[in-house]
Amino acid sequence: MTELLVTIFSTAFFVTVIRTSTPLLLATLGGLVADLSGALNVALEGQMLVGCLTAVIVSVYAPWYVAVVAGVGAGALLGLVMAFFALRLKADIILVGFAINIFASGGTVFALSLATGGDKGTSINLVSKAIPPVDLSFLSAIPGIGPFLTAMFSGHSVLSWVAAFLVFAIWYFLYRMPWGLWLRGVGEYPAAPEAAGIPVNTVRTWSLIVSGGLAGLGGAQLAMFNYVGFARDMTGGRGFIALGAVLLGARHPVGAMLAALLFGAFEGLSIVMPGLFADAPAELIRMIPFVVTILALILFSYRAQQALRAKSVAKT
Amino acid sequence: MSTQQALARQSRWASIRKEAQRSITALLIALVVAFIVVLFTSKTPFEALNIMLTAPISKPRTIGLWIDDVAKLTVTGLAFSLVFQARQFAMGVQGQVYVGALASTYVALSPLGPTYAAIPLGIIAAMLAGGVWGFIPGIAKAKLGANEIVSSLMLNYIAIELCNFLVRVQLYEKPGVLTSTPFPKIAVFPPLFAGTRIDLGLILALVAVLVVWFALYRTAWGLKLRLVGHNAKFAEYSGIKSTVIMVSAMTCAGALGGMLGAMFVQGQTYGKLTVMFEGGLAFEGILVAIVARSRPLAVPVVALFYGYLRQGAQLMNIRTDVPAEVIGVVTAIIILLVSSSFSMPGKTWLTGLFNRRADAAPVAVEGAPK
Repeated sequence: MTELLVTIFSTAFFVTVIRTSTPLLLATLGGLVADLSGALNVALEGQMLVGCLTAVIVSVYAPWYVAVVAGVGAGALLGLVMAFFALRLKADIILVGFAINIFASGGTVFALSLATGGDKGTSINLVSKAIPPVDLSFLSAIPGIGPFLTAMFSGHSVLSWVAAFLVFAIWYFLYRMPWGLWLRGVGEYPAAPEAAGIPVNTVRTWSLIVSGGLAGLGGAQLAMFNYVGFARDMTGGRGFIALGAVLLGARHPVGAMLAALLFGAFEGLSIVMPGLFADAPAELIRMIPFVVTILALILFSYRAQQALRAKSVAKT
Repeated sequence: MSTQQALARQSRWASIRKEAQRSITALLIALVVAFIVVLFTSKTPFEALNIMLTAPISKPRTIGLWIDDVAKLTVTGLAFSLVFQARQFAMGVQGQVYVGALASTYVALSPLGPTYAAIPLGIIAAMLAGGVWGFIPGIAKAKLGANEIVSSLMLNYIAIELCNFLVRVQLYEKPGVLTSTPFPKIAVFPPLFAGTRIDLGLILALVAVLVVWFALYRTAWGLKLRLVGHNAKFAEYSGIKSTVIMVSAMTCAGALGGMLGAMFVQGQTYGKLTVMFEGGLAFEGILVAIVARSRPLAVPVVALFYGYLRQGAQLMNIRTDVPAEVIGVVTAIIILLVSSSFSMPGKTWLTGLFNRRADAAPVAVEGAPK
């Protein structure tokens, strides 16, 4: 038990948590943007998966940043497809989302076998690139806390820094820019922006495209930093956990970040635990993030309901 | 009175025809897309397509595989229909299948296994386990407002890992092999036709269709459920406890999912529990339910068509260089087209072209009620 505590409070574990949280955070931010515009994006999982595969395949032939952009583009394209079917053709957005998930789950295996000439399920034979870590070892020059700072902040993926910046950028966009107000208005009460002449469906379309792009970015991080390469269904429910993280984060960018860090921490725990407890069953450890998500969701819903009740009591 | 009934019947047939037309159009579009994909990627595209479209009925064995799939697709389609009719998006059938399979495995491998009680008890245990798995997201939503999509999906992953865990540490036949001890022969569903995989599961599926139809369209519960699905606020105002309906619908769908688990492991196909036995079939119930417009009686018909396609894709996977996963693309396109209000480009122009001579009569009929 002390070993576990020592591990958890080590800088190496912090780095692991940042690594596991980044794809989750990017997908959560994607889910947040769509959710605030009133379009629940349940296709995050599929968009991440397609982002993974696109990034891996492109990275074989192009530099890593091109691959990341391609992953974002693939996710955004799926977001556009969602918007087309859900908003133009009036299909139920949840069904459209699940159609995209089914498409991604089968389509990525299919596309991978085409790209590799028959490999089913993994991209072992593809020489894909990784996203380079950001080297901040010059921080060691600071006397006293220098080595600690290096251990904490050096070696993260470029996309981890991008994700941290995006939390701020999306907060600024949503709460300090007129377009953010439009987006929140469209999600809150579409009739009012409609009457004010704001194109509701255009706003939702863009939010779905951005949402898909962010999920694709998360996929790129997953397939080019957390793991290098693609494996069948490698997102393993992260898109769905992100959906829970949106709700748990009280539909706010900072809350989304905290929720993603929480789930990332438990995923990190499930990574370090097999090394500490050799006899702990791997299946039960893999279960941890899902159990935590469902418990957090239930607890949070309970708290939210209590708060709502307290508010309505105070009013009367 | 009788004319009214006749009119009702007529309009029902008209709507069935319309739905069938839409579904078949969607199917054709999806197949054309799949064929184009195969054409560009396969070395033998025509052989691949030929196998996909004809192989399932070529031999009694493959027909058996097809019908077995149809029974399973029917049950998962029914489970999704039930929650969709109440407008709940509980996606937990996959998890229910795994816990149901676990429950029926424990019955089959218990001392009761080698007796005649094994089959009914196995099914009941599976339904109970699945019901519990469906009840959890239901009650979490009804009492706390927790989003049922997220919680049911999380329960899916938990159930899969639970099944993997129990097979590895407790139910294995020999260490290192990820399957359970084969069930006693008497605990396995008897085949209806010798030499095929068509077994008791088909009868269970057909009974389930009738039960779900009866419950939805001939009981007060079903009326309330459809009302809640149609307009939850109105249902609440008219005194229906929508949360009770919601939870009960999700629990019943869970029981169906659990039964599907028993059909898997106690069926002729397996006769034992293995890890990841379900192979993504549970989620394909979404397609079946959507194309059937969540109508229980339409579910087996849709399952018949879709099961054929699915089996064809799997045979194509074995015999040619095209992976079976291409069916995922077809599934997605069908869901997208059927759930949206798509129309063929130029459809009005086409019908106008064909109906030009006959359009005098319809106008007269339409003018009459005015």
